[in-house]
Amino acid sequence: MQKMADSETVQIYGVTWSKWSAALSRRFDILVAIVLFLAVLSAFHLHFMLLAGDWDFWIDWKDRQWWPTLTPIVAITFPAALQYVFWEKFRLPIGATFGIVCLLIGEWLARAGGFYLWSDFPFSLIWPATLIPGAIVLDTVLLLTGNFLLTAIVGGMGFGLIFYAENWPMLAAYRLPMEVMNSMVSVGDYIGYAFTRTATPEYSRLIERGTLRTFGGHSAAIAAFFSGFACVLMYLLWWYIGMFLARVVWVPNKLKTLMGFKKDARPASEVVVV
Amino acid sequence: MVGIFGSRLTPLRLVAWLAVFVSLIGCSIGSAYAHGERNQEPFLRMRTAHFYDVKWSTYKLAVNDLLTITGKFRLFTDWPNNLPLPDKVFLGSGTAGPVFARVESYINGQPAIQSGKLELDRDYTFKIVYKARQPGVHHVHAMLNVDGAGAILGPGAWIDVTGKESDFKLPVTTLDGTKIADLTSWGVGTVVKWHALWFVIALAYMLWFLRKPMLIPRYLVITEGNEDTLITRGDRLWGLFFLVAAVLIVIGGFQWASAAYPRTVPLQSGVFKVDPLPQGPRTIDIKLEKATYDVPGRSMKLEVKVTNNGTEPIQAGEFATAGIRFVNHSVPAAMAEVDPVYPKELVPPGGLKVDNDAPIQPGETRTLNLDMTDAAWEVERLTALLNDPDNRVGGLLFFFDSDGKRLITNVYGPIVPIFTKLEPTNQVGAD
Repeated sequence: MQKMADSETVQIYGVTWSKWSAALSRRFDILVAIVLFLAVLSAFHLHFMLLAGDWDFWIDWKDRQWWPTLTPIVAITFPAALQYVFWEKFRLPIGATFGIVCLLIGEWLARAGGFYLWSDFPFSLIWPATLIPGAIVLDTVLLLTGNFLLTAIVGGMGFGLIFYAENWPMLAAYRLPMEVMNSMVSVGDYIGYAFTRTATPEYSRLIERGTLRTFGGHSAAIAAFFSGFACVLMYLLWWYIGMFLARVVWVPNKLKTLMGFKKDARPASEVVVV
Repeated sequence: MVGIFGSRLTPLRLVAWLAVFVSLIGCSIGSAYAHGERNQEPFLRMRTAHFYDVKWSTYKLAVNDLLTITGKFRLFTDWPNNLPLPDKVFLGSGTAGPVFARVESYINGQPAIQSGKLELDRDYTFKIVYKARQPGVHHVHAMLNVDGAGAILGPGAWIDVTGKESDFKLPVTTLDGTKIADLTSWGVGTVVKWHALWFVIALAYMLWFLRKPMLIPRYLVITEGNEDTLITRGDRLWGLFFLVAAVLIVIGGFQWASAAYPRTVPLQSGVFKVDPLPQGPRTIDIKLEKATYDVPGRSMKLEVKVTNNGTEPIQAGEFATAGIRFVNHSVPAAMAEVDPVYPKELVPPGGLKVDNDAPIQPGETRTLNLDMTDAAWEVERLTALLNDPDNRVGGLLFFFDSDGKRLITNVYGPIVPIFTKLEPTNQVGAD
């Protein structure tokens, strides 16, 4: 092989590349980034809509008990799996942030297109929660510790713990009390009441029930701690799901054999390698 | 590319064809004109909630004007066995989404912003006040939502809303004195700013790593076992900065919001309690002897045995079921109950025919044959009850005494279809 001149090469992370290869690799980065962005956006958004659903859709579902409990638990899934792939395969500490940014872009697209333009719901009723601070905590803890178990414990707990607090600046205005028909409700309650969801009656709201008298009624704080604890477990589970799904496997194309065009001469033990 | 386009498909032509295609799709999308009430099973419409005396305050209004719907409903005594009882009921809004803003709603004068338990075989009044929001012609129903049974639609009327949606405002004043100019936009600016801030922070954090070669070069280094070289001290400092910044911004934001809105309340999840209307004396005993539905004749016939235990003679004036009113034209008091502007499609012209219209005297027992023949049975898809697993009919039969006072009875029982054989002389092509 002809030796390349120094001017035609470039050092990347201590490895010598030809400039042409490096440029091609960068284009590959961009292509993969675009495909990954669309894939994660779609899959994560679908997952999140199905599991967090109404709690994230509507202002009168964003309560102190279920919303801060469930939302982080179902939102930490893809970030954990993506962190495995990004960190273990590429040492990139951005898996969680990337996943959450994809999700939120999908959420805003759906809210603007499906909820606002198509169904005419006002944005005051339908804005999505943010999860970015928790994702940054997850990524930076992984970056600083380099340990997935510590990330699960510290980052996962942080992800669930700060969810309510990180959304409170947006939510507080909707928790002002107002009087309607001689009853006191929050502004969020009234927005949900005023702008009709024809097939979603009031009783279908799964919002704060029961009592937390032992904890002085501090529902949100208790929910946040429980959510953080559950996020630790979910993180571990989805880290391993990421590991499982990131395995490199191949399955031989048996179509030709089945169609009689080609006979697979390999021994049966080699046909499927997983 | 050639073919159906006749010549080479240039980018310009491609755009033109796409525009045509999109336009065709746009033309094919119509408005949702009603709420699928005709798709609801007849047993759901005939044996759950019967709405009556429903009135719409206006049929035409401008954006921001108020529309009031009032009326009564009775939860039917022959409630279908396959539906949950009305233990959790919400006075819903039978509109095409948020085309109106619901301002107030009441059941028996009690605020119905939440859900509550109602009783079978009892009557309730309702009132809903809407504020027009979206221009257009909208079908507006009275509606109850029953947990487990779904939406039960009452009669609907077409309401014409004029004006511009951009003029719509829903102002409120909170208990701490905050004046909100419009609930549709309240707080949205803050939401957008916070989301934008976090997006910028997330992108800044990721760009630090994305600016460098990513996939193949990093993967090769890891396969060589040199992954520790991929994370630099600068990377760690960058991460530490963002970790601290994220936590501080969250704490600061929380403190700011708590200071800006010191008096907040949680979402309200209670239920309302409401007593039914007082039950007046029920002076009429009625029993359904036989019910048939003549399929080709589109005719329902009810044979009922009526005993007048009251002190005044009575006449059968109206049979109401599934929001349809079959009115006896020979009873003036019944005809007087029909508002001239009431939706005509809900009052079949054939009305209710009774074989013996003579008043039933006090103490008298008489068998009446009620005949309701109209295409409404087909139009409203109520004939689908022949396919129901619980093949029963139900409705309210209104009697009127000599003073014009209305007495409401429940009529219910099994129904038998009659697949009448057409006479040869009636068949097309017969001699």
